Amino acid sequence: MQAKRPWLAYGLLVIWALIVLGPLIDMLLLSFKDLAGIVSNPLGLPTQWNFSNYAQAWTQGDLLVYLINTAIVSVVSVVAILLFSSMAAYVIARFHFPGNQFIYLFFLSGLALPIQMIAVPLFILMRDLGLVDNLLSVILIYVGSGMSFSVFLLVNFIRHIPLDLEEAALLDGASHFQIYWRIVLPLIRPSLGTVGLLNFITAWNGFFFPLILLSDPNQMTVAVGVLSFVGQYATEWNLLLPALIIVTLPTVVVFIIASRQFIRNMTAGAIKL
Amino acid sequence: MVFLGPALLLYLLFVAYPFLSSLRYSLYNWNGVGPLQDFIGLQNYTYTLFSQDFSPFFWRAVAHNLYFFLLSMILTTLIGLTLAYLLMTINERRSRWFQTIYFLPMVVPPIVIAYLWSMYLEPDSGTIPVLLDSLHLQSLNVPFLGSTTLALPTIAVLQAWAGMGFPILVFVAALINVPGELLDAARVDGAGRWRTFFSIIFPIIKPTYYTILTLNFVGAFGAFDLIYIMEGTQAGPNYATDVVGTLFYRTAFGGFGTTAQGMGLATALAVLGFIIVMIASAILVNLQRRAVVQL
Repeated sequence: MQAKRPWLAYGLLVIWALIVLGPLIDMLLLSFKDLAGIVSNPLGLPTQWNFSNYAQAWTQGDLLVYLINTAIVSVVSVVAILLFSSMAAYVIARFHFPGNQFIYLFFLSGLALPIQMIAVPLFILMRDLGLVDNLLSVILIYVGSGMSFSVFLLVNFIRHIPLDLEEAALLDGASHFQIYWRIVLPLIRPSLGTVGLLNFITAWNGFFFPLILLSDPNQMTVAVGVLSFVGQYATEWNLLLPALIIVTLPTVVVFIIASRQFIRNMTAGAIKL
Repeated sequence: MVFLGPALLLYLLFVAYPFLSSLRYSLYNWNGVGPLQDFIGLQNYTYTLFSQDFSPFFWRAVAHNLYFFLLSMILTTLIGLTLAYLLMTINERRSRWFQTIYFLPMVVPPIVIAYLWSMYLEPDSGTIPVLLDSLHLQSLNVPFLGSTTLALPTIAVLQAWAGMGFPILVFVAALINVPGELLDAARVDGAGRWRTFFSIIFPIIKPTYYTILTLNFVGAFGAFDLIYIMEGTQAGPNYATDVVGTLFYRTAFGGFGTTAQGMGLATALAVLGFIIVMIASAILVNLQRRAVVQL
């Protein structure tokens, strides 16, 4: 498709880019201003760059604790999801046994499940297991509920790989585990990146389950940690904004590193919807 | 089988089993402590659907969720589809740059989006009121988040702003698959841009459009984070932003503005919300299947 008036297309695309980026960039600039500057002059460059805002936010909030907790939750969840969902997807995509399709649909059905539907029993379950205020509770929930989407995507990816390599390996006497580990996993690596990124974002940004399960300040993730930080420093935006930037940076950095591959994968039909 | 084991086990324990437990809890009068013994049949459901005390809360929340869905659907269609179409008309490398930018707010934690916009919309001192004043548009300087009529649409627009990246990517993926020969044929036949879009392109990507509608519906009924953070458990002002998610939270876990509390009642509420989502998804998935064109 070629536009007759490309300037019009670019114009509209740039406008939305500004609407999206503007507030985020403004947030970054504002975080360097002093409180008076934030309130009296919310637009425009800072007249002086107050890096001390960051130092102060860092020492006054338990940001490091929240960041470490969130990193543990996100990394452990993503690794477990990638490993378990790719193993399951390999079996579902490659082995034909009775119930195969049923298991696939069973995983898929979780996609339409609202969080509220399982929140109360999960809260009770975690309480009975003694996992309230323990990061493991949130990790287990993310891994379990992350299976639906991940299995769905990976099954579709694996079905698109030609069988030849695996058949050749089988003739050479490779075990199914070797085929999965040496052939299938390397071939679906780009898709694992996509699945991993989406689950990382979900885990890092997750709000509801940390809210109901993690109330001990030492076990909080950034989502709830920032909530309590704001509770203490209500309108001290010169402290809040640096804190907001700090907890946003990890996902943004991970996304920017992965974005080329991610965007290409998504638009190349990674998600056939 | 060993390969399926861990995935299946975790999914059974932390998704399937809680789902069934919800159905069971919803039949009891239970506050979450002690044994489940006060079996009351469907009373939690009738209380939610018909009682004078509680059903107005439920139906208002459902109406707010539907409103959320309609607004997000309109914005996704107008903005998302248009931008995806425009992205197809430009150089691919630049198009990827735009797509990356558009996706960015999706990776920003909701807590950050909520506070950032609370600050912008702060009456009088926030960036938006200051901006409006400097443009001599004082009449538009209203308390967006404190007004019973504006709070809900404001949050719905913010949600759409933050989430637009995903439908754009999905639409682009669908548009790429529209065969070029069809478009060439249309041009040869003298069809204009609008005609080509509505007669050829849209019918081909219609299944994708329905999928996005389904995801929007599920998303709208799951709305919680921004409302809870910006308007509190009471989903203020005066319940003007109360959705099934916040009503559920209050019913299950309490908090300011709670009218009725109980784990059994909360699960009944969740089951009803789930039934609404299931019915809508079934209809939309059906429409989607019928819209698939064989090329």
